[in-house]
Amino acid sequence: MALHLNLLHEEILEQRQRQRDPLKIGMMILISLGVVLFLYYTWNAYQTLSIKAQLSAIDREWSKVEPKVTAAEKRSSELNGIIKTTGVLNEYIDHRFFWGPFLEKLARCVAPNTQLTSLEGTVLEENKGVSVVIEGVAAAREPRSAAEDLRQMLGEQLSQGGYSDVKVEFKTLDDLDTIVSVGGASMAMAHYVLGVTFNPAAKASPTPAPARPTRR
Amino acid sequence: MNKLGLKKDQIQKVGLTLVGFVILLYIYFSFFLGPLNHSRSAALAAINEKQSKLASSKNNLAKAANLEQQAKAATARFAALKSLNSEGAPIAWFPPRMKVFFANQQIDKAVARLESSAVFKQPELSAWLKFNWVIDLPQADYATLGTAISQLENAEPLLAVTKVSIHASPDQPEFQQVVLMATNTIPKQ
Repeated sequence: MALHLNLLHEEILEQRQRQRDPLKIGMMILISLGVVLFLYYTWNAYQTLSIKAQLSAIDREWSKVEPKVTAAEKRSSELNGIIKTTGVLNEYIDHRFFWGPFLEKLARCVAPNTQLTSLEGTVLEENKGVSVVIEGVAAAREPRSAAEDLRQMLGEQLSQGGYSDVKVEFKTLDDLDTIVSVGGASMAMAHYVLGVTFNPAAKASPTPAPARPTRR
Repeated sequence: MNKLGLKKDQIQKVGLTLVGFVILLYIYFSFFLGPLNHSRSAALAAINEKQSKLASSKNNLAKAANLEQQAKAATARFAALKSLNSEGAPIAWFPPRMKVFFANQQIDKAVARLESSAVFKQPELSAWLKFNWVIDLPQADYATLGTAISQLENAEPLLAVTKVSIHASPDQPEFQQVVLMATNTIPKQ
């Protein structure tokens, strides 16, 4: 068997050691990892850029829509304000007290032998009704009964006329010494002051109670 | 030498490599991937926000169009009520208007004067004012007065007569002395 001498064993050993150098291997691993991480970063960056492009497209769309939306919102709030104000104004208009019909009803109640000398009518605040003070004179054989007729007729007229809580009361009723001639006949006179209060709104009819279901 | 057969200098190199690895990861996540992810999340959140805004804005536009249709009657009524009042200070146009109105109703010598003005309690009427007027009618016939008041109440829906005072005229029994107190609702100038 031939003797084989390896005279380069030291160089070979050094070469092997260089190949097994942990720093070199580590650097190679680090570089490989760096490349992988870079690719991953690039992929992420690409995705982010596409998302940003999508965002800028939406921004452009929003910038087109925004003025319209702002104008629509402004108009909506304006319209809501108009609707509410009109509603309140309509309510105010509908809840006014109309003096014309009242004066007409009062005129119907005044017989030829009664006379009104003054009328003071006030619409009470917060829908508390209407208060009227009527002063006048009545001439008849029984002047007090003439004044009472006026009081009763006024009460009936106002109740039938759609007003509720009608109260017609004498504040004063005094005989006068004066004698007047009505239709050629001498009549005694009485002075009266009537206090009238009523609610212009008609009394609401009570809602019928719901029928109870019969038990079986 | 250790179990893996590494020499001391090799162990140092492995340690150095590990340190480099940690530094690489730290730099990568802190200065590259972290900000990128943060930026992407912010963009996604902004997209969601804008999309929801766009969706709601489309709803709002549709609602506004519907409201415009529904509010036609109210808008017309509002414009009609506003047009009942003339431009300018009410004290300049209301007394002459009352004078002309009552003159047309055969009641002469009508004098209207401003008693007070006030704001409304209701927030809906914050742009309106109420003016309280005293209208003197020193010579009026009862029947004519009744007709005139009815006409006034119908012609001026924003005017409410709050007080009526009628007294027989001592000198002219066929006439009455009348004082009306009326509240008129007028938009703020």
